[in-house]
Amino acid sequence: MDKPDPTRQAKTRTIKESLSREERQKQLEFQREAVVHLNALYNYSLHLTMNPSDAEDLVQETYLKAYRFFNSFERGTNCKAWLFKILKNNYINRFRKNSKEPGKVDYDLIKDFYHSIKDTRNDTSETDSDYFHSLLHEEVYQALHSLPEEFREVIQLCDIEGFTYEEIANMVESPIGTVRSRLYRGRKLLRAQLEEYAKKYGFNNDNDNDQ
Amino acid sequence: MNCKKAGVLISACVDGELSLSEERDFLLHLSECSECRGEYEDAKKTKMIIREKIIQFKAPETLMISIMQLTSFNTKEHEESLLYE
Ligand SMILES: [Zn+2]
Repeated sequence: MDKPDPTRQAKTRTIKESLSREERQKQLEFQREAVVHLNALYNYSLHLTMNPSDAEDLVQETYLKAYRFFNSFERGTNCKAWLFKILKNNYINRFRKNSKEPGKVDYDLIKDFYHSIKDTRNDTSETDSDYFHSLLHEEVYQALHSLPEEFREVIQLCDIEGFTYEEIANMVESPIGTVRSRLYRGRKLLRAQLEEYAKKYGFNNDNDNDQ
Repeated sequence: MNCKKAGVLISACVDGELSLSEERDFLLHLSECSECRGEYEDAKKTKMIIREKIIQFKAPETLMISIMQLTSFNTKEHEESLLYE
């Protein structure tokens, strides 16, 4: 039963041989450079669309386009940043230009996502008295999403994805100074929001041990 | 540098995005001003909290598979899938 099927082997070989050497090289490089960022792209897409099936479509489209134009990717630059930019453009074309609404924002689903993960409240080595550490994943998520999009976007790209200001500026097509001031203002708003949650949390949880 | 000027630079300093001269002036101010030092520590924590608490999901396996297929198609099939788009 384990005997290799000779016809099948032959078939595989023909397919492989029909690929040009350059094409195979391109595939390997693409996997190494681009496909490794799949999880990051999926999460970014999820943040933009707030809808898992739209998010998947967007990622698919992005990789198709990226593969097609892979030759225009400037070698040695940040491939993740390049992919993010393609995804963002796709998102705009798909949902904004046609003023077509993205799929329904699925807050319940996002909530479920978050509930499915056990919250680890005491998982850091920082001081226990720190109010930040009492915050739940879901609260931080909501705080981030309560920000106007232009602020949320740069915070996400900077803090979660670790892009430089220059890379972000290129992605959002604004000067570096704008990125810098959006981060400054966005973080101020975000902190106010987080403090609000922390206060509520402290107030509602008198019975928790206050270690 | 006064507190107002320093306050604007905190965010960029946390990201390591100040110019050399800005950074020098900013750090000098921090060394003299405990209030701005506190702000700076809070800003660092806010960044950390976003990193730590925003959960990164794994892409669904079906998505992973279809992306992998993208790069193992033979050329003809690949062209077709692009046209289909
Ligand atoms: Zn000061």
